[in-house]
Amino acid sequence: MTGDAPILRTAQLTVRFGGLTALNQVSLAVPPGEIRGIIGPNGAGKSTLFNCLTGVLKPASGRIVFRGEDITGLPPYAISRKAIARSYQITNILPGATVLENVRIAAQSRHHNWSLLRHYRAYTDVLDRARAVLADVGLAGKEDELAANLSHGEQRNLEIGIALATEPKLLCLDEPTAGMSVAETHGTVELVRRIARNLTILIVEHDMEVVMGLAHVITVLNYGEVLAEGTPAVIQANPRVQEVYLKT
Amino acid sequence: MTPRPPTSYWIVFAIVLALLAAAPLVLPPFWQRFATEILIWGLLAMSSDILIGYTGMVSFGHSAFFGLGMYGAAAALVTVKPPSLWLAVLYGLAGAGLVAVFVAYFATRLRDIYFAISTLVFSQIFYVIIFTWTEVTGGENGLTFSQPPLTLFGLHGARFTPVTFHWFVLAVVTLSYLAVRRVTQSPFGMVLQSIRENEPRTRAIGYHVERYKMVAVMLSGLFAGLAGTLYAIQNKFAAPDFVFFVVSGEVVIFNVMGGMGTLVGPFAGAAFFLLLREGLSRFLTEYYLIPLGIIFTLMVMFVPQGLLGFARRALNR
Repeated sequence: MTGDAPILRTAQLTVRFGGLTALNQVSLAVPPGEIRGIIGPNGAGKSTLFNCLTGVLKPASGRIVFRGEDITGLPPYAISRKAIARSYQITNILPGATVLENVRIAAQSRHHNWSLLRHYRAYTDVLDRARAVLADVGLAGKEDELAANLSHGEQRNLEIGIALATEPKLLCLDEPTAGMSVAETHGTVELVRRIARNLTILIVEHDMEVVMGLAHVITVLNYGEVLAEGTPAVIQANPRVQEVYLKT
Repeated sequence: MTPRPPTSYWIVFAIVLALLAAAPLVLPPFWQRFATEILIWGLLAMSSDILIGYTGMVSFGHSAFFGLGMYGAAAALVTVKPPSLWLAVLYGLAGAGLVAVFVAYFATRLRDIYFAISTLVFSQIFYVIIFTWTEVTGGENGLTFSQPPLTLFGLHGARFTPVTFHWFVLAVVTLSYLAVRRVTQSPFGMVLQSIRENEPRTRAIGYHVERYKMVAVMLSGLFAGLAGTLYAIQNKFAAPDFVFFVVSGEVVIFNVMGGMGTLVGPFAGAAFFLLLREGLSRFLTEYYLIPLGIIFTLMVMFVPQGLLGFARRALNR
């Protein structure tokens, strides 16, 4: 992993909400294939960072470079086309659509999306891709169920499935195990490990066991600034990190 | 391999179509016209269902598209001699299309109630223009003209009778329904439904939502304009009352009563509403709106998905 040019680089990324500086001069470099953990207390700027990377927020200053291209300030749909996908902390699916349709519509966004006159099911390549993603996230048997009727854990995995169906190179996971049982958490950790073989992953997570087990490198944010960065072992041993975040 | 809806769908479709085709043969003249009108208002309501039911955008401006369809047809029938049916349709679609481009460009920047209000405002702007520009539009008197004969494939056919006109409208409406149904089931239509379900997520998976909304408004406007054209040809006039926002409100009511997101529900809603109004106004004259309002309120409370809402999944298969 070392020596590779970073797939994602942020330079002095700064976001302000009125007088509050939510992100302050954050510079990151994530090499391809890495699982990067982002941790920090509530309000440290983790979700703000994701919102910036996915175009929901425009930074006040600083740059985001992805695969050698400046993507700062692009709108969300354009960022998605650049192969950055995200899952949400609060489940964000199409509740009234079937499980299959949730991932199919995401897969469709890469192909044929302006076709008006053929039936959507005639595009079997999109359906095949959607079914493959459902198998990946362990929802193969639930195709025809309404997404709203899935259990919380299943919805969390569908959430990841929607992101995966857009064929990303970088996947931002915002607390993928939030609210999950121990067994479900274990399943999701395995899932993230599996998909990480062909992807670069940023993961925000409060469950320390999960993030220490998964991440190659961890970045600690505090008050919108990078407090520390290093391997899980280095981060766990860092006295300042222990003071602000890990002391419990 | 295009999947087919279940045979039962096509059986019901054929039965309903046969009944609608047979209706003018057995109905007295007044109800012949009435049946044709229901089809035309149903087409207008269906066009609005593309936005309300499938994209989740409530338009209170469909009277503008309908009205411009009427005045477009009128323009062709007043200026070009001999009057041509297809030229009237073409002008009607062009008129509605022009307004639709205008509304689509500005209104789709707004969401929810702001979109609804802006469509209402736009339609009222067109109402005022039509109402006051007397030299061109005839002002509050509107325009009258003679009905064009039916011509098909260059053959000069006979003048319309109420029965043949009903069949003509039925053919146009059926083809429109099948076309819109196909669009709602296309990849494009699925994006519209994704926008309805969760707009921010639809953006996040790579769709330029505003563009889809613009095309949806234009499509919807074209079919609304087609309905206006048919209405103008049936009644041989174009009048500013039909550009007024009350018409847009009725269109929304047809959708709610019949079942949004079904395409056929709006036809059922139009039929139910118009029959009810006809029946009630015979007994209650101008007070008919009181029971109509009560019935509408009760339906919203107890049948919120509309008359055909129960069949929504089957109808969209």
